[in-house]
Amino acid sequence: MTSAGVMRIAVGFYILLFFAYLFGPLVVMSFTAFNSSEFPSISPWNCITGEWFDVLVKDKHLMGGLRSSLFVGIGVVLLAVPIGLAASLLLTQLQKRARSVMYTVTISPILVPGVVLGISTLVFWERIDRVVLGAEDGFFYDGYFMTIIGQSTFIAAYAMLVFLARLQRFDPGLEEAALDLGATHTQVFRKILLPFLKPAIASAAVLAFLASFENYNTTVFTIVSESTLTTVLASKVRYGINPSISALAVIIIGLTLIGAVVYEYLKRKEEKAASALAAEGLPGMGTASSPRPMRIPVGALTGLVAVSLLAGLWFAQGYDVDECKVRVAEENRVRFEALKQQKLAEAKAKREASGESAEAAVEANQAGRQYQNIFAPTNLGQQVDSAAETETETGAEAAVEANQAGRQYQSIFDPGNLGKQVDSAVENE
Amino acid sequence: MLGWLRWFLARNGVALSVYMLGAVALWVIIMIVLPQLFMLDFSFRHNWQQMDPSKMGGPEDVYTLVNYHFLAYGSPNNPDPFNVVDVTVFFRTIIAAVFVTIFDLAICYPIAYYLAQVARGGKARLLVLSLIIPFWVNELLRAFAFRILFGEEGTINAMLMGLGILSQPIDFVREDVALYAGLGYAYILLMIFPIYNVVESLDKNQIEAARDMGASWLRIHRRVVIPFAKPGITSGCTMVFMLSAGALAAPQILGGPSSLWFTQIIYQWFNTGSNWPRGSAYAIVLMLTCVLLVLAVMKIFKVKIGEIGR
Repeated sequence: MTSAGVMRIAVGFYILLFFAYLFGPLVVMSFTAFNSSEFPSISPWNCITGEWFDVLVKDKHLMGGLRSSLFVGIGVVLLAVPIGLAASLLLTQLQKRARSVMYTVTISPILVPGVVLGISTLVFWERIDRVVLGAEDGFFYDGYFMTIIGQSTFIAAYAMLVFLARLQRFDPGLEEAALDLGATHTQVFRKILLPFLKPAIASAAVLAFLASFENYNTTVFTIVSESTLTTVLASKVRYGINPSISALAVIIIGLTLIGAVVYEYLKRKEEKAASALAAEGLPGMGTASSPRPMRIPVGALTGLVAVSLLAGLWFAQGYDVDECKVRVAEENRVRFEALKQQKLAEAKAKREASGESAEAAVEANQAGRQYQNIFAPTNLGQQVDSAAETETETGAEAAVEANQAGRQYQSIFDPGNLGKQVDSAVENE
Repeated sequence: MLGWLRWFLARNGVALSVYMLGAVALWVIIMIVLPQLFMLDFSFRHNWQQMDPSKMGGPEDVYTLVNYHFLAYGSPNNPDPFNVVDVTVFFRTIIAAVFVTIFDLAICYPIAYYLAQVARGGKARLLVLSLIIPFWVNELLRAFAFRILFGEEGTINAMLMGLGILSQPIDFVREDVALYAGLGYAYILLMIFPIYNVVESLDKNQIEAARDMGASWLRIHRRVVIPFAKPGITSGCTMVFMLSAGALAAPQILGGPSSLWFTQIIYQWFNTGSNWPRGSAYAIVLMLTCVLLVLAVMKIFKVKIGEIGR
């Protein structure tokens, strides 16, 4: 094999690895949404289920957060897009030095950590509220108001960058011609500049909404007593998690994929139209189309999705989640039982080697009972079962076991030890 | 200035001028500059609002360095020569952010070069599009995905144990592996695109010429591509560094129980700590350190600030 061939394979392998890093976590997370296990995981795989989507939709906090996220997002679009537009127009009319100063100042919110933006917004409006309104929780010290302002501080810069990119291709001759023909300034703005900027306004609005929707660092400071989707998510993920979060991720990933396909489709249509115009002899309108236009198999992709959906439906027909759950529970019980037997056998072998006296065993029996009383109210599930089993196994052997467990029960009050304790109790079996 | 204003008014008309100047003034003054100044002012104040509101605005409401002093030395009865917890966390955050940046640069440069110079047509477009998709997914959900992967009963442990490589699960969260992997993941796109944009504008003939003259591929990158891509590399590194040093979501979700990120300390001062002035002081120290570090690196590599963000 030539060295060029080796190089090609190495590059291909690297790209594969890179995209595995990029998509692996998302794919794994998506699968956990369909596993009936209480904890989001793909191994062990229990049952295929859609119940987490139900849990998600019924979650009042998340749905409330979603509503306020939508509200804040719309507010940010309405504030940040006009500001970004004004700033981009002003920038193009400034002289060189003033322009670079303004550019640096307006771009700085992108570079400043989001935490700092949130804090400065919070501190500023709290003070304004106190000094100007003289109120403790007045209009300005409101979670929604401050979040919209705080997010717009940097999202307006995104919008500005979008508009600047588009304005670079604007022909000022159009404006001058309109003015020469007697149009007023407002007319020029409305009839020429705005239509030219329309696609940029749309993309700036989408960008602004999405940036607002997924912002956390700034929002967590400015939202005060309200909550958005991201702040609810953060507290959910930190304290106790279940796969309904994965279900939310599946929905978002699905929407993103649909969005990407639609975007590609529109782009392709636009390119087709442009090349058709170019073919008709209007070279000015045709974008510099590459010799090989993109070949993303949109049709094939859609087909793939449809086929997998159908397969899923077909599979779901002969599939009963509850039945499967019962089966899995049974399997778990059997596995636990086997584990217990194994541990018991091990312990027995050990005991025979050491050979404890029967006297100690009687004493221990009492300790064992005590131990069980302590355990029962704490409701430790399976451990209670196993403790109960100790009781039924009469004779010195079982009592010795209980004694060991009983001695350890003292430290069970330490909550940090609980887990270990439970383990060792099983082992003592 | 006045002359410019007259010219501006004449060029745009009154309504448009008022809109443009008004919106920009609102943004720059009310939303960017004043809040920062208020935060700076706040960081030099006592926490009277929580301790004793009657003293606010009184003779004792004076400027003080007490909050900065606390960050460096801790409370007055701190036996250590400095504030061990906060200072350690601060430097750990900065150093970890540097490593995350280097990691991202190392894995993203080859991809950016490949996308910009090697791949072509539909394939390049598909790759770029699929790069963007993961980044429409919420930052918190991405961190959550890493928690599923790296948890003690997570996918990676299950896989390694299933293959017989491990007999005991590794606690990736406690070891901070999960945090670094998650942070590196979170900002990949911000590293790739600035480099991609610059490298794409590099004339292929330059690379061809270097190759024809017998330069090895390593030498081509060192002498041709990297010097050309310097603004993009700096821009990407700046953004990744700033964002990972200022990250809050990923450390909250993926951080081990004993390790803190500096932003988490700031967050605590604002929430459970109820000491806004101190939180502001910490935030300012973080921001100034990051900005100075970035400026220093830019000076060393001779990149101008105007070249960033293009």
